[in-house]
Amino acid sequence: MGSRASTLLREEEIEEIKKETGFSHSQITRLYSRFTSLDKGENGTLSREDFQRIPELAINPLGDRIINAFFPEGEDQVNFRGFMRTLAHFRPIEDNEKNKNATTSEPLNSRTNKLLFAFRLYDLDRDDKISRDELLQVLRMMVGVNISDEQLGSIADRTIQEADTNGDNSISFNEFIKVLEKVDVEQKMSIRFLH
Amino acid sequence: MPTGSGWLSPAGSGRSLPGRGLLLLTVLVLLEGTVFRLGAASTPDVSGHDTKDHHKATAIGHNSTKKAFPVLDLDYGHIQTPFEISLWVLLASLMKLGFHLIPRLSGIVPESCLLIVVGLLVGGLIKIAGEKVPPVLDSRLFFLCLLPPIILDAGYFLPIRPFMENLGTILIFAVVGTLWNAFFIGGLLYAVCQIQTGNSSELNGLGLLPCLLFGSIISAVDPVAVLAVFEEIHINELLHILVFGESLLNDAVTVVLYHLFEEYSGVGTVTVMDGFLGIISFLVVALGGVLVGAIYGILAAFTSRFTSHTRVIEPLFVFVYSYIAYLSAEMFHLSGIMALIACGAVMRPYVEANISHKSHTTIKYFLKMWSSVSETLIFIFLGVATVDGPHFWNWTFVTVTVILCLVARVIGVVGLTYIINKFRIVKLTTKDQFIIAYGGLRGAIAFSLGFLLKEDHFPERNMFLTAIITVIFFTVFVQGMTIKPLVELLAVKKKQEAKRSINEEIHTQFLDHLLTGIEDICGHYGHHHWKDKLNRFNKKYVKKCLIAGERSKEPQLIAFYHKMEMKQAIQLVESGGGVKMPSAMPSTVSMQNIQPKKLPPPKTVERALPQLPKGREEEIRKILRSNLQRTRQRLHSYNRHTLVADPYEDGFDKFILKKQKIIELENKIKEMNNYLTVPAAPTDSPTMSRARLASDPQAFSVKPDSDSVPIIQVDLASPQSPDTVNVMDEFRRADQEENQGLMMRCPRGPSEPKKSEDTEGARDQQKLMRCLSDPGPSADEDEDEPFLP
Repeated sequence: MGSRASTLLREEEIEEIKKETGFSHSQITRLYSRFTSLDKGENGTLSREDFQRIPELAINPLGDRIINAFFPEGEDQVNFRGFMRTLAHFRPIEDNEKNKNATTSEPLNSRTNKLLFAFRLYDLDRDDKISRDELLQVLRMMVGVNISDEQLGSIADRTIQEADTNGDNSISFNEFIKVLEKVDVEQKMSIRFLH
Repeated sequence: MPTGSGWLSPAGSGRSLPGRGLLLLTVLVLLEGTVFRLGAASTPDVSGHDTKDHHKATAIGHNSTKKAFPVLDLDYGHIQTPFEISLWVLLASLMKLGFHLIPRLSGIVPESCLLIVVGLLVGGLIKIAGEKVPPVLDSRLFFLCLLPPIILDAGYFLPIRPFMENLGTILIFAVVGTLWNAFFIGGLLYAVCQIQTGNSSELNGLGLLPCLLFGSIISAVDPVAVLAVFEEIHINELLHILVFGESLLNDAVTVVLYHLFEEYSGVGTVTVMDGFLGIISFLVVALGGVLVGAIYGILAAFTSRFTSHTRVIEPLFVFVYSYIAYLSAEMFHLSGIMALIACGAVMRPYVEANISHKSHTTIKYFLKMWSSVSETLIFIFLGVATVDGPHFWNWTFVTVTVILCLVARVIGVVGLTYIINKFRIVKLTTKDQFIIAYGGLRGAIAFSLGFLLKEDHFPERNMFLTAIITVIFFTVFVQGMTIKPLVELLAVKKKQEAKRSINEEIHTQFLDHLLTGIEDICGHYGHHHWKDKLNRFNKKYVKKCLIAGERSKEPQLIAFYHKMEMKQAIQLVESGGGVKMPSAMPSTVSMQNIQPKKLPPPKTVERALPQLPKGREEEIRKILRSNLQRTRQRLHSYNRHTLVADPYEDGFDKFILKKQKIIELENKIKEMNNYLTVPAAPTDSPTMSRARLASDPQAFSVKPDSDSVPIIQVDLASPQSPDTVNVMDEFRRADQEENQGLMMRCPRGPSEPKKSEDTEGARDQQKLMRCLSDPGPSADEDEDEPFLP
């Protein structure tokens, strides 16, 4: 009974999450039920194994990286707040939010923050650059095992060459933004959470 | 008046060219009119002459009157039909040419308007000449010959991704929007007719059902007109696909409504049951059409798997299967347009993976050519039919129709957008809505449907036709002409011209995977989830069946990269090879790291760079040209039926030959005061030292002490075309006998471990075979030479 009670969501928490992430009440409750269904250990946090239990994630080439993105630096457990914070990046950008001149920091689902999230998935060592090796790793994951290293190498070289403007042979965050300026990131990185 | 003086001061040919163009046009139009008159006139004569002779012959028997042997005879009737068809097509094509000779006009007025005017002129001429205007816009001709090429062109090159992403919006506009238009216009027209009962007797007796039928004919947005106009305004992809997709998908609705009202107009009543059947019929028509198209598409893809030995007829399969799909759908009264779109869209990814590069180009150009000619002909015929057709002008009817069309469209778009925006991530702004509403053009399909109505069932047919033509003219002329300035005025986002870069491709795929993962974590079975499932299914089962050989396992990214490299290779060769690079290099090379190992350098360094643009450019070009020529001579046998010259019959001999060529090239390059120094790793290999910037021609022999040679490190300051990178790679690796991967080199040397050579070599061979099986300059370039700009 005690453990059940601690996993129920309190109203204040919902309000805080609402303010931080911008999700609506119903969305938060829906996601909370999803969180609890994933949480097999019933301790209010998710571990990596809980995520890996999702079958589709296992066949996703980027599965591990996505899972890692939920966990803050060096930790092995993520609570509901952290869960929601990561998911907030994928909320669609509302029109009225665009007009609000943000006195607070930028909302989590702004275009820059979405791109930063994606960038961090490439840049594992957090040095703010996507090096050739990091790019190769991602390419290898997406392309499978049939392609030779040299081919991937030329693709990686070509990619960096196209994007690199300051000649450091890696892609910085600004270059990343520039390359994706034609891509409709607001649409591509948003999931329509049903009301 | 600067403009006035500008016009008057003759810019020589610039002034006479538009003048010439106008002259050409008028001559052609006159010619067309007179030929038809001749044709009409001479036919009865000739046929009469024939019968007379025939009678004589049979009556008199062997003792027929001997007439002089006809040295020159005019038998127009024999060739009349094909000749007239060809003449029409020629007229259409020459018109298209002519318009572009008159630059001012084509800027202001869209082509479709000009073509209708030409049609009017031709029709007028024929009428003045007193002859009967040929019934050119015959519905059968239109639906079976003129429409399919345009739709196939649209369907084959349909951008699948934006289409699928906006499918919901498109469907709502197409189905609900068209229904709304039809009922609104039809209903209000009926109301107007009822009001008018007392005043004018003509509108009397116009029942509800004929009104609704008319409404359904006039409500459909026309793909031909939309294509013609939107092509010239280069609007952004989203709006284009919305309006265009709507015009394609509303065919099913139009077909069902048309048949429904036509059937029951005779009877006079439509019951609820009929309405219900109509809805079911709509589903059958739409889905059935798509299914028929998809089946034929898969058949075509499957067939293309086996065409590796008969490359010449590959395009034919695409065209014939698509046309049969269209006809099959029409046979069952399903939506032929949707069948054609489905066929083209389904077969495209697989067919393109199977066919050769030349076939791909052929298909593209044939489709563009046919659709262009078809479009031109349709507009001209529209003009001719306007002059010809029996008209019945009724002020009330026509004006009310035009106004109602506009009003219905605007209300429909605004209302539907309000609902749609609740479900869209990227909302449609007011500007978007305006363009969508304004882009609802009517065209020849409406006219043909009206033409199909039988006179006896519909006494008001002529009035309908007049009204339809008026609406078409209004939308094409007024809306077509003003949409371009409006787009500029409203600053609507234009189409982005730049091609997709590999960065975008990689990151888009990355984001797809990411979003699919997040959706799975949320337990939300959304858009990405199903797309991912479809892709997986496609990769696992479908591709294996439909794509020949190794390419079935090729990941999308690699295929994209290959395509890009091919395109660049072709571009490079077409631009003459050496021209671009030398002129580009000096400006972008940043002489950052000059590492002169000894003193003589500074003078030579200065000399090297400026020298290149002058004399060396010619030399580079000469070298390239001679090498390219030499490779072409290698094609020994040319058979009309085979485009295959098998470059790999000789296997290793070719490889050795190629090696020799590389060495020859390098020799030539070192003569060139080459500054393409490679700063990277194996700087002491003989090739490298030879290729290094040697100020003196004496640097032929390999200097054991390579430190004496000045090394200029070339640091490319700006993003170069990847050719330069590849050149360096080439030189860096020429001796290392590494597989260049996508550089399409032949299999590696014997020093490589056998195992990897087999797999890599075999795969490379296949890749090479596929693109070299009908070699063009690009293929030869790939085969024999490193990327030497």
